[in-house]
Amino acid sequence: MKKKVVALLMVLVMALAIAGCGKSDQSDKSAASKEIKVGALFNQTGDQSSLDVPGLNGFKLAVDEINKKGGINGSKITLVAIDGKTDQTACANAASKMVDVDKVVAISGLADSNYALAAGAIAQKNGVVFLTSGATLPSLPDQVGDHFYLVPFGDNIQAYAGAEFAAKDLKAKTAYMLTDKGMDYTMTLAKYFKERFTKINGADSVLLEDTYQTADVDFSAQIERLKGLKVQPDVLYVASDPSKCGVIVKQMRDRGITQPIIGGDGYDTPLLVELGGEGANHDVYFTTHASLSNPSDKVQNFVKAYKATYNSDPENAFAALGYDSMYLLADAISRAGSSDPAKIVEALNKTSGFEGVTGKISYTGGSRVPNKSVTVLTVKENKFEFVKEVLPE
Amino acid sequence: MLSRRDKRLTIIGIVVLGIVLFILNQVMADYYLRIINLIGINIILVASLNLTNGFTGIFSMGHAGFMAVGAYTSALLTIPITQKAALLPDLPLWLANLHVPFVAGLLAAGLMSMLFALLIGYPVLRLRGHYLAVATLGFLVIVRVVLTNIESITRGARGISGLPGVTNSWWIYGTLVIVMYCLWRFIHSSYGRGIMSIRDDDIAAQALGINITTHKMMAFCIGAFFAGVGGALWGDQMSVISPNFFSFNQTFTLVEMSVIGGMGSMTGAVVGAAVMTIIPELLRNLEVGITIMGMTLPPLYGLSQLILAALVVIVIIFRPQGIMGRWEFSWQHFAREKKKLRLQRQSSSEQEK
Repeated sequence: MKKKVVALLMVLVMALAIAGCGKSDQSDKSAASKEIKVGALFNQTGDQSSLDVPGLNGFKLAVDEINKKGGINGSKITLVAIDGKTDQTACANAASKMVDVDKVVAISGLADSNYALAAGAIAQKNGVVFLTSGATLPSLPDQVGDHFYLVPFGDNIQAYAGAEFAAKDLKAKTAYMLTDKGMDYTMTLAKYFKERFTKINGADSVLLEDTYQTADVDFSAQIERLKGLKVQPDVLYVASDPSKCGVIVKQMRDRGITQPIIGGDGYDTPLLVELGGEGANHDVYFTTHASLSNPSDKVQNFVKAYKATYNSDPENAFAALGYDSMYLLADAISRAGSSDPAKIVEALNKTSGFEGVTGKISYTGGSRVPNKSVTVLTVKENKFEFVKEVLPE
Repeated sequence: MLSRRDKRLTIIGIVVLGIVLFILNQVMADYYLRIINLIGINIILVASLNLTNGFTGIFSMGHAGFMAVGAYTSALLTIPITQKAALLPDLPLWLANLHVPFVAGLLAAGLMSMLFALLIGYPVLRLRGHYLAVATLGFLVIVRVVLTNIESITRGARGISGLPGVTNSWWIYGTLVIVMYCLWRFIHSSYGRGIMSIRDDDIAAQALGINITTHKMMAFCIGAFFAGVGGALWGDQMSVISPNFFSFNQTFTLVEMSVIGGMGSMTGAVVGAAVMTIIPELLRNLEVGITIMGMTLPPLYGLSQLILAALVVIVIIFRPQGIMGRWEFSWQHFAREKKKLRLQRQSSSEQEK
């Protein structure tokens, strides 16, 4: 008897699932003329969800706003949101489903390069535009192909911005670098910071390049080596991921290192203050996508709308990036005057000076990584504070 | 051995499979074909896992590691030379100038995995039960760390993209037929009987004169070979591979398929892989928020994982041996059933008279 009940339940669930399948097919045929289908592929569950859930929220908010204003050139946007499950096969299958079954004209989402690669390859193969809302590896568009665009800046741009901020605003002549050796993200940051910093201050301006492994928790050896330098550096560039930046800042400040610490958008996490403690309040700067305390109307309107819809402040910059992705796409579709992916690509390539929450986006000179302004933040009284916007040369 | 009738039926079965695949390739959208192909690849992977886990009783958790070795080997050999130069400028010269056809890439992938199985097999196969499971899990960790760190060959965490993507239904199901045939022959050979006797009682098996080390090693290596081939097909279909893809999750998914289908049965591998590939895709429709008979359900992300987990728990409770248990598909079984049916009909018609 028990078995029968269980079996019945399973059949019911499956039937429901299949019914859902049929439903989406029907809507395909009925309303194909006056709508534009856009895919939102975010990892709603799994390790990536802390970045991608706000991302999808921002994306949805933008879709609702655009539809309320009458859509793009009179056509409403229909959102097809599928969970990538932080799993490469699920991401690839989801992208394939969006392209083949739902017939979307563009897909957006994903904050991690690996998943973006897997899903982007499918969009590229089928001639569908892919706008990644959060992956920052600058080589991605070349790896995937001409339908792949980055909405955030590439890691090279933020590292350049970090170097220029250090040299020009903090008047630093020499630097020390500490890099997580186990991550592509941190290695890329370090590489480009060094490139720009030595270009400004000369070849030996980086006094010491030290490394650690992602799993390390004790940085006393690195700190001793830093203290042992005969000439003390003016700034410290610490390329680390969200889980380690607070730990490193705390240990450095506790051991009497007072120089300014600079990092990348991995620092844009509550963990910086939670783990960094009092130490984080002293001269810690980082480059990121947007500042929610930026007084400009664009940013404040976004924060207000987000709060009204989701009852909370935007969790991090990825919400703003998701929001910008949709508006950027809408802008390109309306300029193209058509939802044909080839036309959208053409229009996207001509994007210049698009005003988003996360800064101005331009795809110039055939690059599909935007030339975008970078926001520099600092920590004051345990809160992130806007310092300035930098547009690296 | 197969009787002549059964051989004929098997060949007819393969031909029918070919025709069905041909028709599906003509009419299906890419997405559905992708799922069908994924089922094929998963069957290869789960069948090879069943050989070690189910038939030999070596509970290996390193299957994703062998997949990774296979996928990387085949990728490095089959990516066109010009593309390789742009992607991996620091490759050793002999590897940079090497390009082989896909079929050779698949074989190389299998052989490379087998080599690794041989290397780790000697120390690891001395262990039993969960010690063995943990040790093979350790192998998976080593593979991932090495792949992440030899950047000149693997591009590290950035992953290799632009695999040729020649994999289609024919490659996958062709390989599948060969894999199934090889595994079937192995299981029905004296070695196959040997590994099963080791699984059931290794001391008794040893007393009967079965060399335990050789038998275990052979099963482990053959399993790894086909895992490498499956990994190569999988990587080629994804068109991008990265060390992150071959995670614990990947291993657990395969073990899950094997347990659900029935570990000690090739038919179980087929059923488990098919069921566990299709269900998540079906459940996806539930997650995104749908309207049924006027009722609108909000999007419930994570629901599919929950239902899947519940399904696994239910199967483990009510049918711990898996859907198929140790039952194998056979033509004889069908023939017997048919005969029984005919006899029944005869007797009932006689009664009516």
